[in-house]
Amino acid sequence: MSSAQLEIQLIASLVAIACAIPGTFLVLRKMAMISDAISHSILPGIVIGFFITQDLNSPLLIVLAALTGVITVVLVEQIQKTGLVKEDTAIGLVFPALFSIGVIMIAKNANDVHLDVDAVLLGELAFAPFDRLLISGIDVGPKSLWIIGTILLITVGLLFAFFKELKLSTFDAGLAASLGFSPVAIHYGLMTVSSITTVGAFDAVGAILVVALMIAPAASAYLLTTDLKKMLFLSILFGVFSAISGYWVAHWLDASIAGSITTMLGLLFLVVYLFAPSKGLIAVMYREKQQKIEVSLLTFLLHLKNHNEENERHVNHLREHINWQKIRAKTVVDLALKNNMITIDNQIVSLTEKGDDFTSQAIDYIITNEDAQIEDMKDDFFLFRG
Amino acid sequence: MSNKIAVQVDDLTVAYNYKPVLWDIDLEIPEGVLMAIVGPNGAGKSTLIKSILGILKPIAGSVSIYGKSYDKQRSLVAYVPQKGSVDWDFPTTALDVVMMGTYGSLGWIKRPGQKQKKAALEALEQVGMLPFKNRQISQLSGGQQQRIFLARALVQDASIYFMDEPFQGVDATTEIAIINILKALRKANKTVIVVHHDLQTVPEYFDWVTFLNVKKIATGPVKDIFNDDNLTKTYGINYKVSIHK
Repeated sequence: MSSAQLEIQLIASLVAIACAIPGTFLVLRKMAMISDAISHSILPGIVIGFFITQDLNSPLLIVLAALTGVITVVLVEQIQKTGLVKEDTAIGLVFPALFSIGVIMIAKNANDVHLDVDAVLLGELAFAPFDRLLISGIDVGPKSLWIIGTILLITVGLLFAFFKELKLSTFDAGLAASLGFSPVAIHYGLMTVSSITTVGAFDAVGAILVVALMIAPAASAYLLTTDLKKMLFLSILFGVFSAISGYWVAHWLDASIAGSITTMLGLLFLVVYLFAPSKGLIAVMYREKQQKIEVSLLTFLLHLKNHNEENERHVNHLREHINWQKIRAKTVVDLALKNNMITIDNQIVSLTEKGDDFTSQAIDYIITNEDAQIEDMKDDFFLFRG
Repeated sequence: MSNKIAVQVDDLTVAYNYKPVLWDIDLEIPEGVLMAIVGPNGAGKSTLIKSILGILKPIAGSVSIYGKSYDKQRSLVAYVPQKGSVDWDFPTTALDVVMMGTYGSLGWIKRPGQKQKKAALEALEQVGMLPFKNRQISQLSGGQQQRIFLARALVQDASIYFMDEPFQGVDATTEIAIINILKALRKANKTVIVVHHDLQTVPEYFDWVTFLNVKKIATGPVKDIFNDDNLTKTYGINYKVSIHK
């Protein structure tokens, strides 16, 4: 591995981490689309900054772009506040307007600046190692590495300082306000960090893909954990994994690095979406199937409880009485037998004491909806897991 | 109940998009009462609480808590928002939500420690939710979620408690458990203000009541003012006609 390759992977990984942190909070605040809006509408900020400094890595450019990002959020909120349109419409109105201003500014001055729409949309990570930062003539590494490194350091610092405030205002803005933690200040703080991170990542992965780096790792992590700290950690892990594996996929396929990273993010989400232990598609389908069987079991037990007549409890007549198909009836009878809830004596099915208790408790729960009654049953049966 | 005034509201007017939802409210809530705020949907009950707590900015009027502005008296006040106002799929546990009640006393940046954790566990115990402390909040029933919210307010150890429909969507056992805790708070000379929907239980649960429908209709002891006259004024057809003019 050459040092340029190493540098590219390092930059991509730092970008992924810097995006995953604000991304986690954006996902939890249901503001994923805001990151899309910011990533596009900071373009005029970047272009103006570039015109002034003639340098894509100038700090002024980052400041101006971040400012445009915050302006985007303010505009979206103001339009939404009129009550005439909903938030998604407001976002759809604001960012294309700002983005197109940026595109026109680039086009008007395309002859004398080295900034083109392709680079803005997709970034050019492969060229990042060529732009070196020189301090009194000594090469200290690629400029983008220093920029994203600085942004990441600030983001991590803010996260550690304000983790409690971010969590509270994301979960319950009303309580945050009543306790004196201004949710508005925290909101704009998060928006500023998101904007700055977007500008930092922009150079590496471009406007479209930065959204994927913010949202996909967080969305995947959300399906896997019920702990905010773990969610942050997993988002970062997924981001870095996609950055490095994406780089090598691009290397082997001789394709765009940014495109490969995003493809890896998409694949990662797909895998998590299918196989996540409790929220994944397969787990949900399995649970629903179990619930169906357990409802059947309960129906069957209730039938036994309600009928003392032997003809109602004869194993061969059960099917007609409950109106089930053969396979389903067999599954249910087997399940009941396995759990010692029924006995079959001479073809006559009877409830055991356990089966009788279980039925009363379950019916009681369904009628009263009081959780205390079924706490000890929750581990055995899907039906009661809410 | 003492003679001290816990909460005083003067000429409070609140508007959404220039449409007043609360109009010129004057209200004095004495210390140590358990008060229900009743009124029809859209009467401004939640808005009143949120304005007192500084969550909404009124267009006119003022609020004082024991004679000083809310900003200065934050530590004396605990708030239980409507259960539906938060996302219960948020990745956190019951204990962690209760810990949030301690954030106010910590202030910015400082992290909760063992002391805060101990207080949160005690509050969970008080509402009978200790066995569920590590459960993810989406895995709790509606009644259990409401108890968690109550525990989060208890952990603040405040003098005044504001609760927005704490009985909404809870089972009968939880309702009794909650009202017993509220009555215990009143016994300890705390002031408890509850947005309430079920008129039938007002005389049984509360000793003080405020009738509200955009304007304040009446406020005072339940035994004196909880009558047909005030109910008609608050919920009655005539009144509705007059405000829509």
